Amino acid sequence: MSLKSERRGIHVDQSDLLCKKGCGYYGNPTWQGFCSKCWREEYQKGRQKQIQEDRELAERLQREEEEAYASSQGAQGTQPSLTFSKFEEKKTNEKTRKVTTVKKFFSASSRTVPKKENQETKAPSPSINRQVSIETEQVSKEFIEFLKPCQKAGHDVYKQCKICLEAMQQKREASIEEQSEYVQDFYHNTAEKLQLRWKMPSEKVEDVMDHIEKFIMTRSYKHVFCPETTDDEKKDLTVQRRIRALHWVTSQMLCVPVNEDIPEVSDMVVKAITDIIEMDSKRVPRDKLACITRCSKHIFNAIKITKNEPASADDFLPTLIYIVLKANPPRLQSNIQYITRFCNPSRLMTGEDGYYFTNLCCAMAFIEKLDAQSLNLSQEEFDRYMSGQSSPKKQDAENWPPDACLGVKQMYKNLDLLSQLNERQERIVHEARKLEKDLIDWTDGVTKEVQDIVEKYPLDIKPKPQPLAAIDSENVENDKLPPPLQPQVYAG
Amino acid sequence: MAAGGGGTGTNKTYSFKVVLLGEGCVGKTSLVLRYCENKFNDKHITTLQASFLTKKLNIGGKRVNLAIWDTAGQERFHALGPIYYRDSNGAILVYDITDEDSFQKVKNWVKELRKMLGNEISLCIVGNKIDLEKDRHVSVQETETYAESVGAKHYHTSAKQNKGIEELFLDLCKRMIENAQADERAKGNGSSQSATARRGVQIIDDEAQVQSSGGCCTSG
Repeated sequence: MSLKSERRGIHVDQSDLLCKKGCGYYGNPTWQGFCSKCWREEYQKGRQKQIQEDRELAERLQREEEEAYASSQGAQGTQPSLTFSKFEEKKTNEKTRKVTTVKKFFSASSRTVPKKENQETKAPSPSINRQVSIETEQVSKEFIEFLKPCQKAGHDVYKQCKICLEAMQQKREASIEEQSEYVQDFYHNTAEKLQLRWKMPSEKVEDVMDHIEKFIMTRSYKHVFCPETTDDEKKDLTVQRRIRALHWVTSQMLCVPVNEDIPEVSDMVVKAITDIIEMDSKRVPRDKLACITRCSKHIFNAIKITKNEPASADDFLPTLIYIVLKANPPRLQSNIQYITRFCNPSRLMTGEDGYYFTNLCCAMAFIEKLDAQSLNLSQEEFDRYMSGQSSPKKQDAENWPPDACLGVKQMYKNLDLLSQLNERQERIVHEARKLEKDLIDWTDGVTKEVQDIVEKYPLDIKPKPQPLAAIDSENVENDKLPPPLQPQVYAG
Repeated sequence: MAAGGGGTGTNKTYSFKVVLLGEGCVGKTSLVLRYCENKFNDKHITTLQASFLTKKLNIGGKRVNLAIWDTAGQERFHALGPIYYRDSNGAILVYDITDEDSFQKVKNWVKELRKMLGNEISLCIVGNKIDLEKDRHVSVQETETYAESVGAKHYHTSAKQNKGIEELFLDLCKRMIENAQADERAKGNGSSQSATARRGVQIIDDEAQVQSSGGCCTSG
C-alpha cells in the first residue's frame, strides 16, 4: 500500500511508518501509531487496571444492593423463613455470578448504581451507562417497595425476576425471538403461579404483572430494543424515508373526517402528534401502549368535535394514518416490534390498548403499501407527487371560509405570489438561455459564413507587379509630390 | 387466550374478542352502538367512540367479557383485515339488504376468515336495515343458503328499530362459549391450555404475515 502511494507521488516519511515506541517495526494508525506488539502491551496495561476497578465497583454494588434489600425486608418483619430464603437468594446470585462475571462488567443493566452520592463521585467513568443505571436503580427501588406488602409472594416474585434477568443476560447472543419467547413464558408462568399458588385475586395479579413487566423491561430495554441481530434499524429508516416521501398526502386524499380549521380540532391533532412521538422515549411496553392510547383518544376527540358523533373505525383509521404521516414518529417499526415481543400478551390481545395498537400496526402496513389507488389518484399524478415534480393543488385563498385565520390566508396568498414569481423567474432564465444560445448560434453562423466565403473565394496572393523597393527608399514617393508651397510675396 | 381471564373453577370469566366486518355505510357502528348503549342516531350519545366497545354479560351463570372491535370498511383498507381479526373468537359480518355489493363483500370476508382461522371462529352473517324492506336487493333465500353452506348463522337486524340485535349477540356468545369449552376439553386441564393457545396464535401470525405481505406487527 505505502509503496504504491509513494510511487504515485505522495510523500510519506519513513519514520512516520515506524512504531512510536521505536522498536523498529512498522506502526499502524489504528493502533495509535504503535506496532501490534507494543500496542497490546500499552493497551493491556490500561485495560487491566480498568477491569480491576470495574470488578471492585461491581462487587461493592452487589453487596450494597443486597444489604439494602435485606434492610428493607428486615424492616418489614423478622420471620425466620424470610431470612433463610434470602440466604438462598444470595447463594443463587453467587452461583450465577461466577458464570457471567466478565459479561456483567461491561453491561449497563447488570448492577445498580451506588446508593449514596459520595460513592458516585468515586465512580471511574461517568458515562451514559451511569444515567441508565440511575433509572434502573429507581425502578428496582420502586419494585422492591411495591412488593413489600406482598410478603412471601413478593419475595418469590423478586427472586424469579432476578433469575429471569440473569437468564436474559445469558441469552443476549440468542435470537430476539428466543428472548421474546422466554419473557412471554416468564409472564405466563408467573401470572399462573400468582393465581394458583399465592391465591391472588385477578385484579391484583394484573397489577403485579404490570410491575414485573416494568422492572424487567426497564432493565433489559437497552439490549432488546432494536437489537443488532435484527434488521429493525434498517426497516426504521425505510419507514422514515417512506413517510418523508409522502409529505404531500393531504387529509382530503385520505378522507380524514377532521376539520383542522377549527382551533380546538387542530389543538387535538397537535396533541395526538406529540403523544405518538413521545412513544419512542418510553422504555416499558405498557408505557408505550399508553402513549398510543392517549394519541387515539385525542383523535377521537378531534373527530367528535368535527362530526359531532362517536367515531367509528371508518373514521378512526384514516385519521390515525394521517397523524402518523404528519408525525413521522421516530423508530416506529422498532417500537411496534418491541411491544409485540415484550408486552404482556393478555394486555395486547384483548384490551382497549390492544385495539389501538392493532390500528397503529394497520396504519403502518397501509403506509408501507400505499399506492395511487388507495389515495384515489391516477398513477401519473401519484408518480408526479412522489418524484416531487409537482404538489397537490392548494386551496385558493378566495375559497376560504371567512372565519379562516388571517395569517393562514396571507400565507397562502404569499405562497401563490411566490409560485408566480418562481414561474416568471423560470421564464426569464429560459429566455436568457435562449438569448445566450442565439448569440452563440449567431457567432457560429458568422464564422461559418466567413469560412464558406473563404473557401469559395480562396485568397490568391498574386506577385506584385513591381519588385519591392529598397527599404530606405521611403522618400521615393515624396519625389512625386508637388513641391511644397512657398510663400509668395505680392507687390504692395 | 381463547378463554383467558381470571377466576378459577366453576365461575370462570370468559373473554371474547369479536370483530365487526363489512363495507362502509352498512351500519356496523349503529349496530354496535345500539347494542352497547341502546342508542341510535342520538344527538346525546356521550360515548367518545364506537370503534372499541366492551360489554359484560352473564349467560346461564357464566360471566362473559365481550370486546367488540370495529374495523375500517373502506375498500382501500381491505388488505389490513388479517391484522384486525387475528385471535378473534367471533366475527360479525354485516351487509345492507338494499345493497347487493355489500353482500358480495361479506362472501369475500367469509372466504378469507375460513382460510386464515379455520373453524375456530364463530361467524355471524347479518343483513342490516330491514326497516328498508321495500328496497331489498338481496334475496333472503340466497343469503340463508349461503350462510348455511359456510357454517355461519344468519340474522336480520335493524339498528334503527332495534330488531334482532340482542338475539344476535346472545347467540354468538353462546356459540363462542361452546367453542371455548370444547377447546378446553380437547386440551385437557386448563393450565397447559393457555400456554399452547399462545403458541397456536403465533403459528397463525406467520400465516397472516404471508397473506398481508409483510404486515408490520405480525411477527414475534
